[in-house]
Amino acid sequence: MGAGQATALSGHGDSTAGAAPTHRRIFPAAGALALGLVVPLGLLTAWTVAALLGQLPEQILPPPWIVFDTLLEGIQDGSLLSSTVTSLKRVAEGFAAGALVGLVFGTAVGLSKTLREFVDPLFLALSQVPTLGWMPIVILIVGIDEGLKIIVIGWSAFIPVVLNTSQGVRDVPEAYVELGRVLSFSRWSKLTMIVLPSAIPSIFTGLREGLANGWQTLVAVELIASFEGLGYLMAYGRQLFQLELVLSAMIVVGLIGLAFHGLLTLTENHLQRWRPETPR
Amino acid sequence: MSGPVAISAKGRGKSHALEITDVSKKFSVAGRQVQALSHIHLAVDEGEFVSIVGSSGCGKSTLLRLVLGLDTDYDGDIRVDGHRVERPGLDRSIVFQEHRLLPWLNVEANVAAALRQSGLSAAERGELVRDHLHLVGLDQFAKAHPAQLSGGMAQRVAIARALVTKPRFLLLDEPLGALDALTRLRLQDELQRIVRHEGTTAVLVTHDVDEAVYLGDRIVIMHPHPGRIATVLPVTAAVSRDRSDPNFIRLRDEVLSWLGVSRTGNDAGAELARRSA
Ligand SMILES: Nc1ncnc2c1ncn2[C@@H]1O[C@H](COP(=O)(O)OP(=O)(O)O)[C@@H](O)[C@H]1O
Ligand SMILES: [Mg+2]
Repeated sequence: MGAGQATALSGHGDSTAGAAPTHRRIFPAAGALALGLVVPLGLLTAWTVAALLGQLPEQILPPPWIVFDTLLEGIQDGSLLSSTVTSLKRVAEGFAAGALVGLVFGTAVGLSKTLREFVDPLFLALSQVPTLGWMPIVILIVGIDEGLKIIVIGWSAFIPVVLNTSQGVRDVPEAYVELGRVLSFSRWSKLTMIVLPSAIPSIFTGLREGLANGWQTLVAVELIASFEGLGYLMAYGRQLFQLELVLSAMIVVGLIGLAFHGLLTLTENHLQRWRPETPR
Repeated sequence: MSGPVAISAKGRGKSHALEITDVSKKFSVAGRQVQALSHIHLAVDEGEFVSIVGSSGCGKSTLLRLVLGLDTDYDGDIRVDGHRVERPGLDRSIVFQEHRLLPWLNVEANVAAALRQSGLSAAERGELVRDHLHLVGLDQFAKAHPAQLSGGMAQRVAIARALVTKPRFLLLDEPLGALDALTRLRLQDELQRIVRHEGTTAVLVTHDVDEAVYLGDRIVIMHPHPGRIATVLPVTAAVSRDRSDPNFIRLRDEVLSWLGVSRTGNDAGAELARRSA
């Protein structure tokens, strides 16, 4: 039966040829995904085998099925879901604020040499201080409520967005800047037609770094100053030696981070769809 | 046509459309002074097509940049209709050697970009863009992006972008230099047709002597170190626009010898021309 179908299919030369481009477009993406799964699946297998053989003390690394059960339980009783929603909201708000201000500030700093000379040393010094280093001062000023989380997450996202955006704006090819002058572009035209489109790759590098920073800061800030959220769940699980709780929260954080990252990449590819297809 | 009448009525008889008077330009590179241009005098009349030839580094691009108003730090005077050039303006367009299309805009939007500061309505702009894409034969490619175009097509879009503002001056800086020989020959004819059609005054920088003779009403020959004008040769009516015409070949050889290149002795056509002369 199977062989018969194969011959029937290969008989239709035309339809195969017509389908080929679609295949080529889908396969690299699927191939990349498959390759990306090799290492995680390998680790999962090793973990499972080690647990089955009793090589792993449960207090150090609980077996995968227990972690999976914990994940399911957390979803069913809503505790994991509500933690996720709380954390997502914090990251979304902090990241949106930090990225937005960072985009505006980074563009301004990239465009104006004077502004750059004013703020560069201070900004570089401030950005060297780990986000958690700011926490005591920020707590003194705004207290320990939601405001604290938004500010700290926002700040950690702000830094890479500013650095990358201003770099991208400064790296606009001189030939295009000159073209803008020849066409008598206004400042606005120069910004929207030349500077920002040209800086898109840098801007998105900054956004991706900012988002990753935001998640890391979220977990850290929730460990210290929160009674809900995924970071809190990790701290709580660790204190109770419920490592399966820690691990399931880690998995959720990782998956959401991956999804956000993918979303940013999709947006970037959409904005850059004029790019010629690069040979892989 | 009422062209000449209109010009004399405005009393523009004496002043030239573009007047470059005693222009010198220095660059300092690593503390050393480089004299890019030295005492350049050149007057271009309305509707004229001037070719500039010279070896690389003799200041041709620098001269065009000064005329554009991209650089105002020079000695001497550059005037359009008697007014000193202070900054770039839509009355002067340029086609660079590289097309310089914005890769994130499609063909149509690239051409339309030149009209952003024109003050025209969207409908008027759309019509001008369509007309000029038609003029360069790219109506079918309005929605294509630069990455999808061949070098010759991209350069035609750049020409359309330069002309869509209906500039008085079209400056061309080796616009066909990066193209293959066949495309170059085709685009030379196209350029000639378009410039005539629009009645634009053109200054073409090229290192292709044939191109200079074929397109120019006058040929400005420049020498380097410091960049200066060696001579200006008129392309007289006797020189037909036929590349194998004896007069054409004679003028081409004269330009070549001004550039310090020996005559093409093994060129049978050139030999014939010389003997019959
Ligand atoms: N921005 C610049 N800074 C320093 N030197 C320059 C600059 N532009 C051009 N030059 C120098 O001026 C001379 C003329 O350059 P250019 O006008 O580009 O020559 P061409 O177009 O005839 O090849 C060259 O010696 C070049 O090195
Ligand atoms: Mg040049």
